[in-house]
Amino acid sequence: MSENNEKKVHGIVAEYTSVDSLLNACRRVRDAGYKKTDAFAPFAVHGIEKALGIKPTVLPWIVFGCGAVGAIVGLTMQIWMNSIDYPYIISGKPMISLPAFIPVAYELTILFAAFGAFFGMWALNGLPRFSNPIFTDPRFDRVTDDRFFLYIDAKDEQFDEAGVRQLFGDTGTEYIQTVVDDDSSSKVPKGFFIAWAAVIGLSVIPVLVVLKMRLTKSSLPRFHVFFDMDFSPAKDAQQTTTLFADGRAMRPDVAGTVARGDMLIDMDYMTGIDMEALTQVDARRAERLVRSFADPSPQQEGEQPPVADTEETSAPAEKTAEETGVQEEATGETESAAPAAAPSVMDTTPWLTQNPLPLNKQLLERGQTYFGIYCSVCHGLNGGGNGLVNRRAQKILATNWIPPSKLNQPTLAQDVYPDGKLFNTISNGIRKMPGYAAQITTRDRWAIVAYVRALQQSQNASINEVPAAEREAILKQQAEVKKQLEEQAAAEAAQANAEPGDN
Amino acid sequence: MSEHDTPAVKIADDPAFKLPTSLSSLSMPLCIGGVAVLLIGWACGSSVSAKFGMSAYLTAFMFCLTIVLGSLFFVMIQHLVRAGWSVVVRRIAELYMVMVIPLGVLFLPVLATLLFGNGTLYNWDDPTYAEKNFLPLAIWTEKLRWLNQGWFTVRAIFYFAIWSALAIWYFRQSVEQDETGEKAVSDRMQYWSGPAIMAFCGATSFAAFDWVMSLAPMWFSTMFGVYVFAGSVLAAHCTICITSFTLQRLGALRDEVTVEHYHDLGKFIFGFVFFWSYIAFSQYMLIWYGNIPEETHWIFERQLGAWGWIGIVLILFHWALPFLGTMSRHVRRNAPLITFWAVYLLIMHYVDLYWVIMPEAGSSMGGILGVISSLFCVVGMTAVMIGLVLRVADQTKIAAVRDPRLQESLAFENI
Amino acid sequence: MSLAIPNGLDNTVERPGERAPLVLGETDYHEITETVCQVAERKPSTSWVIGFLVSFALLQWLGICILYLIYTGVGVWGNRSPIFWGWPIVNFVFWVGIGHAGTLISAILFLFRQEWRTSINRAAEAMTIFAVACAGTFPGIHVGRAWLAFWLAPYPSLNLWMWPQFRSPLLWDVFAVSTYGTVSLLFWYMGMVPDLATFRDRSKNKWRRMAYGILSLGWSGSSRHWMRYEKAYALLAALAAPLVLSVNTIVSFDFAVSQVPGWHTTIFPPYFVAGAIFSGFAMVLTLMIPSRKMLGLEKLITIRHLDNMCKIILATGSMVGLAYGTEFFIAWYGQVQEEKFAFINRAFGPYWWAYWTMVTCNVISPQLFWVKKFRTTPWIIFIITIFVNIGMWFERFVIVVTSLSRDYVPSAWAYFSPTWVDWSMLIGSFGLFMTLFLLFCRLMPVINMAETKSTLAKQIHLEEHGYGNH
Repeated sequence: MSENNEKKVHGIVAEYTSVDSLLNACRRVRDAGYKKTDAFAPFAVHGIEKALGIKPTVLPWIVFGCGAVGAIVGLTMQIWMNSIDYPYIISGKPMISLPAFIPVAYELTILFAAFGAFFGMWALNGLPRFSNPIFTDPRFDRVTDDRFFLYIDAKDEQFDEAGVRQLFGDTGTEYIQTVVDDDSSSKVPKGFFIAWAAVIGLSVIPVLVVLKMRLTKSSLPRFHVFFDMDFSPAKDAQQTTTLFADGRAMRPDVAGTVARGDMLIDMDYMTGIDMEALTQVDARRAERLVRSFADPSPQQEGEQPPVADTEETSAPAEKTAEETGVQEEATGETESAAPAAAPSVMDTTPWLTQNPLPLNKQLLERGQTYFGIYCSVCHGLNGGGNGLVNRRAQKILATNWIPPSKLNQPTLAQDVYPDGKLFNTISNGIRKMPGYAAQITTRDRWAIVAYVRALQQSQNASINEVPAAEREAILKQQAEVKKQLEEQAAAEAAQANAEPGDN
Repeated sequence: MSEHDTPAVKIADDPAFKLPTSLSSLSMPLCIGGVAVLLIGWACGSSVSAKFGMSAYLTAFMFCLTIVLGSLFFVMIQHLVRAGWSVVVRRIAELYMVMVIPLGVLFLPVLATLLFGNGTLYNWDDPTYAEKNFLPLAIWTEKLRWLNQGWFTVRAIFYFAIWSALAIWYFRQSVEQDETGEKAVSDRMQYWSGPAIMAFCGATSFAAFDWVMSLAPMWFSTMFGVYVFAGSVLAAHCTICITSFTLQRLGALRDEVTVEHYHDLGKFIFGFVFFWSYIAFSQYMLIWYGNIPEETHWIFERQLGAWGWIGIVLILFHWALPFLGTMSRHVRRNAPLITFWAVYLLIMHYVDLYWVIMPEAGSSMGGILGVISSLFCVVGMTAVMIGLVLRVADQTKIAAVRDPRLQESLAFENI
Repeated sequence: MSLAIPNGLDNTVERPGERAPLVLGETDYHEITETVCQVAERKPSTSWVIGFLVSFALLQWLGICILYLIYTGVGVWGNRSPIFWGWPIVNFVFWVGIGHAGTLISAILFLFRQEWRTSINRAAEAMTIFAVACAGTFPGIHVGRAWLAFWLAPYPSLNLWMWPQFRSPLLWDVFAVSTYGTVSLLFWYMGMVPDLATFRDRSKNKWRRMAYGILSLGWSGSSRHWMRYEKAYALLAALAAPLVLSVNTIVSFDFAVSQVPGWHTTIFPPYFVAGAIFSGFAMVLTLMIPSRKMLGLEKLITIRHLDNMCKIILATGSMVGLAYGTEFFIAWYGQVQEEKFAFINRAFGPYWWAYWTMVTCNVISPQLFWVKKFRTTPWIIFIITIFVNIGMWFERFVIVVTSLSRDYVPSAWAYFSPTWVDWSMLIGSFGLFMTLFLLFCRLMPVINMAETKSTLAKQIHLEEHGYGNH
């Protein structure tokens, strides 16, 4: 071994063939007081830490720290991204939905901790390290196969080559070798670098191309990879096509198609007009009316179903009514000043005089509900024409407000204003009142008609119309209310007298 | 290769394997005192309401039953995987698992309440329940095919029959080996452990459905059996840890149960804290996310008022705190510390059962009287169980003294 | 040094108080090195070459199908309203399940000190990674515009100005599967480093030596390194065990957080985990039985190993069976009519054949493993595990397709039929898997030599000293 003298000595290594002999040697070396020692083995030898006196590693703390960071990063990232920076609600869950954030936070905890364990271990071990003087000896290659080695570093305070050799010799080793600097070339073959550079260079190219395309401006037309996704071949509504003989991209409905819910069963029921009678009076109009219900697509202008029966003559009539601000009946009278004009279509239409639905409690209750929802805001709950909207309009002195009709006035009584006409008014509107056909179903409009009739009756009723059994109770109640009102009035009067300064 | 000395196997009659006399004399007082405390607890609860009293009783019963079933599972799984490390503590689990028989007797009050009270404990037994809760008759009649007195009783007998058969058989075999030291006994126990565990899992899962889940008759969760099972195995490991620590303090098993065994028990405690949390979270998560009224009402009721706070306590102190507390190897290798966590977790296990069962007894916790009742019930029931364990232990060895793997268990070391 | 254990010894018998050997034959450390290294060092066998060519051709076919899919659009699949998830997701869940055995063997069995894992964990971990690669392919192409799949990552997007939706289980999946893939890769690679060092030290060829030298990071076998390495390995195992639990749990969340009848049930998380372990072990056995024969590893992967894996298959198969039963029972007990219908429809609806295939393969066929003869005869195990693989694929098919094809709105019901692209992609994904696996067999140490040697060291120690003092 003298030829190695000129080279730097790193330490001395001894070879063993079994775990037991290695462990015994380790204990002897430890007991001899050597500190900078190491053992090498093809597998983790159980108990060698104690035999060599190796301290436990701090790795668990690194892993724990990384895991904690992962958990915090996971939670704050999700809360910030989904609840603060771009807050939006998904399926009614709160902005910060912890249960939903736990899975990702959990995964990140494990990911970070695993990175901590993996990279932490290599870092603590000082690996990768490709040049190690201990690899100089070819015999050391068997450390990854079936041989065990014990090593004492030259930096150890007690190190003395002869002494170490003596100690190793006593442990029953067959082979002792001094570890010296590696004199083989440390040059990495050129081909390796070329290949490495080529791989890196080639892999960067596509990234650069994409980046350039995304970050720079260009006057050239855009490059379309998936042409049919950028330009959908689907046609828009009003475009032409060669696919169909008529050249229209939008296909008309198949003949006889009825939109859902528009299937006609009973024209009388749908319009409030006695169609039989109308055919005799004005066959053309009846036919138009039926057509307009059967085929909702607009055939001629101004023939939409809701106003179909009030169009033509009734339209100017309405306008007049608006301008003059008088009741419809009065309008008819003003128009009669011009005898050449035909009588209003409203008057000539043969309205249904009876509600087509059987009157019963259920229907009236339904009518009451819908009257309450749609009508009472203007007409008032008792039909007196003084609903919330009207009161407000009067309070703010609205200039173009037409007060809603009092539903119990005689001009709207059943004999002069038939049920069908009332139905028509609800459906299509009058003056400022809009039509409600779109909001209230046909059946419910008839229910309202029935309820309005009941309201009219109740508002003009006398005590004798109440069933005998309940009269007494009502009279009693009436008296009570009257008394209360009087008392209230008296109290108010007294108060007004007591505080004369107020007015 | 081991660095510290391994104790030699002692002879079977060594005093180390005998129950300390200071404990054996406690058996009778514990049993009698336990019954008295249990009765007081039940009486206090009944003064809140009959339902409250029986629910407190059921909670205490489930607390003991889960420990016992967990121990039974522990014994069977050790045989199934032919574990070597656990031999020195297996007898402790065996002593607890035979308690399934006295618990069968203690189940009788529950059964009696069902048979003679109209929905005093189980709402579905109340004939007016469907009407009061506006349940469609078609659904309710179908429901009653499973939830009715007769079938419920038959099932309960069936569950206890399975558990008792398994517990008695394994206990007898193990005690027989104490005398003979036959290896064939171990072979037998291993051979039957597979089918035994399957029978056990089926019975336990359905018992959880029957006795706990059906308290809220319209609620259902497929995972509920697993939830009860997770808490049960956790409780069993804690109990084994506490018992062996106590025995060692009093002079038995001094050399046999080493820090390595506590380390392993600690690992299982840690693992099952995690497993319980995993199951509890998954169950909550799926119900919370799906948000279907049939399921959410159960959790919603448990988020109202004080129950909500108990739920938060479970998250923080049944999962977070013990999870961090038992994470470190140093804690698990410290017998007093890991025993502290075992005691702590048993308390949390009770809180868990309390949170599952008691809200069905009414929306309040019954005031001071209610709390006293719940505490007395569980303390009384546990005292009875421990008293009986001591009685059985006094008549046998407290370790499997001639198990062929005893030497391996003594020499066992964690890497 | 060498142990005189006869080659034909039946190490599936284990007397109480004694431990049966896990390494057979006249074995010493060097022989383990030789046995494992010869697999990679000798010339490839004809069967390997044929297998590789077939797998590689299938892989090319998968690639072509993916290009065709991207170019034409997802309409080439059989996915139609209302079965939008169809085969791609069935295949995804299937492969994710396969990917669980590796980490289970490496991590959970490690934590339970099951030393028999040492000679099978390497190959099983490799399978995990390859299976996760197969699994990742399917949702990747199922998103439709596959080239925009990176939108799933939470990065500050310059043209969207928004973030992914973290309350969606599909995004949890992205995190779970990618974390799982990454951690499995780290775990696998870390476990391989000492063995790669063995390859390095045995290489005669300069280039080979350099390649393995780089991969083994300068591993010297220092005991300080070993100590930290073992610690890191144990920590990674402790992290991988809950990870493996979480991945299939989150995959099950994809289904279970929804309200689709048959999907919304709380047992899904543990049931999916058990199913994954079940299918993963079946796949490991399916591959291991021919491999151990062809690669000459019978002394290291012994009948005992097969026996133990069969027992795990039996246990998890029974758990899966119990879960099927519980689901059915609760569907009736819960008395929610949609839920009840979903389960009756599974068993007796138009997909009854899928359901009963699943039950037969998953619940009934593993019960054969109660018989020891079946657990210890390789060709029988091979057949049964193939049945289990088929059954587990059908399980996912049953869950995905039957529930989607008939949910709340009967007017939207439909019947799912796969197209040739669906079939090709399923078969092609096996090509990807097998190509990677066969390459692994040739290039990497297929058995964890270091750990097997340490098992042998324990065996020797027991032989010489028995339990207790030395």
